[in-house]
Amino acid sequence: MSKSLLIVDDSATMRKIVMRTIRMSGLDFETTEEAGNGVEALEKLSAGPVDIMLCDVNMPEMSGTELVKEVRKLSDCENTKIIMVSTESSQELIDGVIADGANGFITKPFTPEKFQEKLSPFMN
Amino acid sequence: MIEQVCLNELLLESAKEIFETMVFMDLAECTEPAENAEDCALLGTITFKGALEGCLAFCCSVPCARAIAMNMLGIDTSEEIAEEDVCDAIGEICNMVMGSVKKRLAESAGNLEVSIPSVVSGRQLKNNMGEGSHKTTVKINIEDEYVTELSLLYHENSN
Repeated sequence: MSKSLLIVDDSATMRKIVMRTIRMSGLDFETTEEAGNGVEALEKLSAGPVDIMLCDVNMPEMSGTELVKEVRKLSDCENTKIIMVSTESSQELIDGVIADGANGFITKPFTPEKFQEKLSPFMN
Repeated sequence: MIEQVCLNELLLESAKEIFETMVFMDLAECTEPAENAEDCALLGTITFKGALEGCLAFCCSVPCARAIAMNMLGIDTSEEIAEEDVCDAIGEICNMVMGSVKKRLAESAGNLEVSIPSVVSGRQLKNNMGEGSHKTTVKINIEDEYVTELSLLYHENSN
């Protein structure tokens, strides 16, 4: 079944690297959108939900942790799977963001295999 | 007090982890005199605070930064790359190396709060943190072609 993806990261380069790594992982998305921060992401989601959102943590305007809380308030996005992608890897942060509604966490540096492992459960 | 020798190794190991996994370029400590230091023209920095407070900086030449960015993005050398993408890539290098440093320092320094990286044209990270601050610099040779510098400027926070 075709899935939609939203990549949220303030670095355009990192968004491209994430897309490249997903291609290398063999995962296939019907649509892929990008947002540079949490506010932009919410604007994109207001036009329609996505199946999977990959989200950085440290971003200007609205951080990834704030974004998770906002997305979980949107009834349209209750089925959206949120995977955080960050250099931050403290267990406290991971536990907190999972408690707020994220579905997984990928730490940078990452590999195609890591994306395959974390996203595959949500692809069917 | 964190030993300078340990920090040198920690910086090098952190850089190796990032370059091997995300940049796909070979990296080794440069033991020769820094005759290429004047080539360093792009300076990426990221600050941190906590039990340690300071700044991590990565300094390299523009050709080196372009090579790093192209490798990270999987762009062929015959293609063009925007200056914005090059700066963005160097900022991400700082971000990821800092993430790795933070992880390795967690046991001795606790949790460090990290800023968003910034990249400017520049050559040297000047120490203006006053008395009690330390600077550790590792010279790194990338692909036997580019000499770069990775520095950690910090002081221990008593608060």
